Formats: sequence, structure tokens, C-alpha cells
Amino acid sequence: MTQEDKTTHPHIPELVNQLKKGEIDRRQFVQSAAVLGVSAAAAYAMVGAMPRKAHAQGTPKFGGNLRVSMNVKDVSDPATFDWGEKGNVVRHVVEPLVQVDKNNVAQPHLAESWEASGDLKTWTFNLRKGVKWSNGDEFGSDDVIANFERWLDPATGSSNQGRFSAMTETVDTGEKDEDGKAKMSTRMAPGVLERVDAHTVRFNLTRADLSLPESMADYPALITHRSFEGGDLKENGIGTGAFSFDRFGIGEIAVLKKRAEAHWNGDVYLDKITYVDNGDDPAAEIAAFASGQIDTNYQSSVEQVPTLKKLPSIEVMQAITAQTGVARMKVTEAPFDDIRVRQAIQACLDRPRILEIVYSGLGAVGYDDHVAPVHPDHAELPPLKQDYAKAKRLLAEAGHANGLKIKIDCVANPSWEQNTCKAIAEMLKPAGIDMEINVMPGGTYWDRWKSTPFGFTAWSHRPLGVQVLNLAYRSGVAWNETSYNNPMFDELLNKAGGLADVNERRKVMAEVQGVLRDDAVIAQTFFRSVFVARSTRVKNIYAHVALEHHYNKTWLA
Amino acid sequence: MLIFTVKRLSLMILTMLIVSLLLFVLLELQPGNVATKVLGPYSSEEQRTLWLEANGYLEPVWTRYLSWLSGILTGDFGDSIRFKVPVADVLWPRLWNTAILGFWTFAILVPLSLTLGVLAGMREGSALDRAISITSIITTSVPEFASAVFLSAIFVFALGVLPGTSGMTDGFDPLQLFLPVMVLILYDVGYVTRMTRASMAEVMTTPYIRTAVLKGLPFSRVVFRHALRNALIAPFTVIMLQVNWLLSGVIVVEFFFAYKGFGGLILEASLNQDIYLIEACTMVAVFVAVSTQTLADIGYTYLNPRIRLA
Repeated sequence: MTQEDKTTHPHIPELVNQLKKGEIDRRQFVQSAAVLGVSAAAAYAMVGAMPRKAHAQGTPKFGGNLRVSMNVKDVSDPATFDWGEKGNVVRHVVEPLVQVDKNNVAQPHLAESWEASGDLKTWTFNLRKGVKWSNGDEFGSDDVIANFERWLDPATGSSNQGRFSAMTETVDTGEKDEDGKAKMSTRMAPGVLERVDAHTVRFNLTRADLSLPESMADYPALITHRSFEGGDLKENGIGTGAFSFDRFGIGEIAVLKKRAEAHWNGDVYLDKITYVDNGDDPAAEIAAFASGQIDTNYQSSVEQVPTLKKLPSIEVMQAITAQTGVARMKVTEAPFDDIRVRQAIQACLDRPRILEIVYSGLGAVGYDDHVAPVHPDHAELPPLKQDYAKAKRLLAEAGHANGLKIKIDCVANPSWEQNTCKAIAEMLKPAGIDMEINVMPGGTYWDRWKSTPFGFTAWSHRPLGVQVLNLAYRSGVAWNETSYNNPMFDELLNKAGGLADVNERRKVMAEVQGVLRDDAVIAQTFFRSVFVARSTRVKNIYAHVALEHHYNKTWLA
Repeated sequence: MLIFTVKRLSLMILTMLIVSLLLFVLLELQPGNVATKVLGPYSSEEQRTLWLEANGYLEPVWTRYLSWLSGILTGDFGDSIRFKVPVADVLWPRLWNTAILGFWTFAILVPLSLTLGVLAGMREGSALDRAISITSIITTSVPEFASAVFLSAIFVFALGVLPGTSGMTDGFDPLQLFLPVMVLILYDVGYVTRMTRASMAEVMTTPYIRTAVLKGLPFSRVVFRHALRNALIAPFTVIMLQVNWLLSGVIVVEFFFAYKGFGGLILEASLNQDIYLIEACTMVAVFVAVSTQTLADIGYTYLNPRIRLA
């Protein structure tokens, strides 16, 4: 502990105090402590409980090929990844600085440790020493700085710009757009990246950001070699990971093979990981499980769970998450530019009922604020109730007394997404809203997810509530699909992100969540659990909250 | 015969030209759409214009059509948007996979349905005829997506003797062909059997067969020597048409069994609006359609001399 004391964040003793008084629970404590740079092991030691070891699964065996059923997509450039599947393939080749573990706690990975200043504006990351790139170079600060410079360059088009918005500034480009308004450009703020030494990088943020370590664990934030400047990672091929690309075909297969050199994190058991694309027919995947052609998958839908459980030697793993789907309305497009229309839609929904119908109740109810009960900073607000009188009144005020026709875009698979839309459509009917569901293949939807007036978008899990709000609802960020633009919301979000104290933060989050709810840009009805199937011969594997694959320690019996 | 063949071949080329023109008009007439499909919906107007210029889209329509056509003739279909490689790199291997599937389907389908059809048709109304006819109608009326589920339930889930998907990830595996081939055969065998049966039954009522029977020839000799050749003319055309059917029929089967063939490719191309791939797949499908049709016509004249005069 004495060694920890020197470097720990000043807020840690306060956290311990809160834990003792019962204001926060153990999980929240470990999560918050980890964010502030205390290793999970040390945090667990402080609370006097060690994390349960993965139950005894025998002695790990070397060798074998883990076969995973998952869509194989283009994986050229991690910085522009927009699907978790892409991250799963590449995470075994290039690695992140931080990894969120199965308990939703940020763990050091290529970064060995980190400390934050009291105001959460200066973060120092100590990089792991002795990590070698596959070309023999030593991993260090130059790699990290090169990646951040590329991510924050608007020309890269990386979602990391929104993720690390505390490192950017918005400037006038000097040009004018068609309406004569000044064209603004977001770029890296000066002095943000500081190379302390070969293995220490300091981030001088423009504002406090609590979620920096978690942001670094997200799938587009994989660290590539300093020589990688976009293009195709498979050609560059330099990684710190335990595996390298062997075979790759979009829509077909991705084979990774274990590198000959030892990995910095010790033994890696598998010889090969094979990702097999079985298309979009869930029946194909189940058949592949039944005949032993695959060992695990990306995820199974809630409808598949009963069938999978019936198969011999297949086990279904579950993770409680902040994954959700939002029926999001673009505030710049009619009729959703009228807040009364959005609020009317909001008032029609019986959320617990939707969770029950669509997802067999396996999840948590959502109330249009996109912050989940599993988030440590989640504020409990009074639930929204179904209120048709209110909905009708709002619609009449908005000039739709005789009914309103709207159309939502939605992907065909996974089916819970269109089922949610169907349930919403039924609940909108009594208020006179006729919602047509425009079902389309995933590829088509993701081509227009940010531009369609009304669409159902699935959001993956992120460890902290402030994180997802930063990505999706802050004005002008790359993934702001609703074009939501509320300076007050941005301001409150900044404030929440600057508070290390979970209780203090939760108070601000109550306001943040309240504003988002009142502005009704999304109808978000539930958070769902996720399911991953595995053959019982696969050991040391888990369903990750964000469906990430961490196979370095996985082995086959 | 030579004139006939030449006529047929030129008709085939004409058909393909017309289809190519239609395809071009539908997909590429408005260059702006092409640029959007290739560069994605978030590309800027400036990027699109630059792309159009670089790829010759600002040329007159006819020039563009001709260069597109010559590209196709030399096997240059452009780059696939989804697969990020030249279209030819995905098209030919996928087509080859479907050819393997088709070959085995036909290798079993043709002898099986001809035998059953002849057996049923040679004694119209017999118990054997009834049994074969009823079975044929049942198998034909079960669509592929249903028989795929049904056969999987038996061979994959209940018995556990066959692999459930046919992705061939570890190289070619004949076992993985069983289920897709079985589904295709099950669906098509009834149809070809019934066509053969009808043709055979018709031949069996002709005067020359009656004469052959009455002059005391053994029944087997009547069937093999006198009836068979004439009875097989109609099924020959039907079988050639099945090649066409197969090319579209495999979509369902390939999707269900995750078989990486031409049908699955057409599906993926259309779902992802992969414009060059759609064009290439369509041209290949049309080529197969018209060439089997031409082959059927030529073969038909060979089998039935009366048509040659017409």
C-alpha cells in the first residue's frame, strides 16, 4: 500500500470512506479506483476481497485452433472501425493501452499504469517496458503519440475524435459554407500530447475527462506501429499482439496464427484463431454448433438461447450490460424537429412491457437517457409512464391532431431490434401515430444511420455513463446521429465528466439524464443482456460486456 | 445445321447485348449514384466529382458504355465495394464453388429422375406410377428453405452425422456437400421425374409402340429400343432449363448452409449495393441462361430431326 500511496489519486481515501459508509458498493469502488489509476488487484485488496478466480478449469493446454462464428468485415484501419467485430479480429494483432475486463473494470494493458491530477485534466500514462513490435522495434511513447495525432486529425475520419474530445479544439477554417456561415473544423488542441520520456506520455486535456482510460479501451483505439499511416493494416502487419494475420477474406474467413516470439503477458495457449463468417442466417450458426464446426461465436440472440441450451456440450454465457437500442429522431428533420412530436412518442411507451415482450425481461428498463443501471454514475430518476392523454395533447399542439405517419429504418438482424420497433409501433397506434417499419440489411442501414430522419440504432456497451453521452449526444461529434445540439447539455456533461467523486457525479448526472430525457431525442426502452455460446471444450472464456474477444489466455481441452 | 447454329449464337449475343445495355442504363446512367455507392453517403460533393472525373464518368454515355462493355469482355469488372478486391477475384472462385455444387446435384438428379420418370411412365396408372407421382408432387411442393431445415434437423441435430454448415473453411470437404446437394435434389427431382413420366407416357400410347408390343417384342426391348429415345427429348430441354433454375435456386441453399458460392454472392452484392459485383453477377447469370438455352436448342434439333427442317 505504501507504494500505491505515493502515486494514488487524492480522491482515493474519499472513495474508501464512502465504501465504508455504504454510499457506494464494492463494484462501484473498484471501478472508480481503477479509473483513477489503482490497479484492480490493489483496489480489491483495499476492500478486503479478492476477485474470484475463474473457477478451476484444470491445467491450460497448449495448441489448437479456436473457431469463432462471426461476420468477417473489412479491417483495414483500426482508427475508422465502426463495428465491434472488426475490433475482435484485430485486437489479437494490435493492442489497446487499456482493456476493460469482464467485470466492467478498466485494466492496464499496453499502459502499465496511469495517474490523474486532482482536476482530472492532466493524465500521465506509464507505458509497459519491454514490449516488442513484431518487426523488432521497442514499443513506446512515439507509437502512442503517432496514433493520437492520426486519430485527432480530421482527415482520418476517426470516431476517436469524439472519444477524445477533451484533446481537441474547434477552429474557424476561414472558409464559408453555402449559407455564409463560417466552416468550423475540429483538430488536435496544441500542447495536448507531451512526451515525458520513451515510456511515459502525458495528456494535457482541455477539460476534465474522467473516462479517458475507458475511452482508450474502446475498439477504434487500438495502438498501431508508428509507421502505420492508414491504408491496410494487414499489409503493414506490425503488431504487439500474440497473433498475426494468416488468411483473410471479407465475408468468409479470418485466420490468426500465434506469433513465434513470446508475448509480453506470458503464455498464450492457442495456436490459431479462425473467424468463420456464417452469413446472417442464425440457423446456420446453430447448425454449425450442433455439428461441432465452431467453438464459440460473437453473440447469440435471445431467441436462440433456448435452442442452444438444448445442444449437448454447448453452454450459453451471459453478460449484463449497457447495450441498448435507441429509436433516435433527427432533430433537424420534420416532423422530429418539433419537440412535441418527440415527446408524444416518448409518452406512448410502456417500457417494462417492451422489455418483457421483446427480450423476455432479460435486461434493465431504459428511460430515454442512455445511462444504464450498470454504470457506476447512473442516477435513478422517476420512471417515465405511459400517458396517452399527454401524447394526444402534444400531437394536437404540434398540428397532428388527425394522426401522424412516420417511418423508422431498422436492421433485419438481430431480430430484437425490429421486434422493439414492432412493439413501439403498436404502442404508438392508440395515440394516432402510424409508424411504418422499414426493415433493411445491416450494411444498408449503417450506410445511412447518421442521416436518416428516424432510425433504430444499436449501441454497444461502454463502461461509464458519461462516455456514451460524449460519443452520441455532444454537439457536433462524429457519432451524433440525432444532430442533437444543446449547449446546456454539453456544459452539464463537461461538469459531470470532471467529477471524480461518484456521488457528486451522480448528482450532476441526474441533471444530464434529465435534460436528455426532456429533449426526447431518443426513445430508448431497455438495456439488454448479451449471450455468447461456447463449446464446453473451450476454457477460460467469458461473455464480455462489449462482446470483446480476449483470447490470449483461452485454451482448448 | 450450321446456319441454325450460327443463327442461335447470334441471337444469344444479341440478347446479352440488350441485357448489358439495360443493366448499364439501370445502374450507371446517373454517374452521381455510382459515386455515392462507391464512396459512401458521407462523401462530399467535391470528392464525388473528383472520383467521377478520375474514373471517366464525365465522358459521353456511349463512350462509357463501350468502355464498360470492353472491360467486361476482357474480364475487368471493376473493384467490389464490399470485398475491396477486383470483382473477378471473388466472382470466379465463388462460381467454381457453385459449379461443384451443381455438378453433384446433376450427377445424381439426372439419372435418378430419368429412371423414376421412365419407370412411372411406362405403365401409366400402375401402383408404381402412383407411388412415384405422389412422392414427386410432395417433394416438389416443399420449398428449399423448409427441406433444408427438415434435413438439418435429421442429419445434423438428431443423428449428428453431417456437418451443419458448408463453409469449407479448412479446404474442400465432400461431407459438407451432402446437405446442400440433397436439398437441391429433393426439390428438383420431382419436377424432372414428372416431366419424364409425362413424356414417356405419351410415347407409350403412340401407334408404333402398340405395333411393337403387338408383334410380340419383349416389354424391356420395347421400352429400351423403341420408346426411350423419343421419350427423352422433352426431359432434355427441361434438364437444360434446370441449370438456370440452379443458379438462382442456390441462393436459398447457400445462405442456409453458409456455402460460399455464386448464389450467396448475388445476395451479398444486392444487400450491400455492391454495384460492380451486381453487374458482373447479372452478366454471368445471363450468359449461363442464354448459353444453356442455345445448347438446349441445338441438342433438341439433334435429338429430333423433324425440327431441323423447321
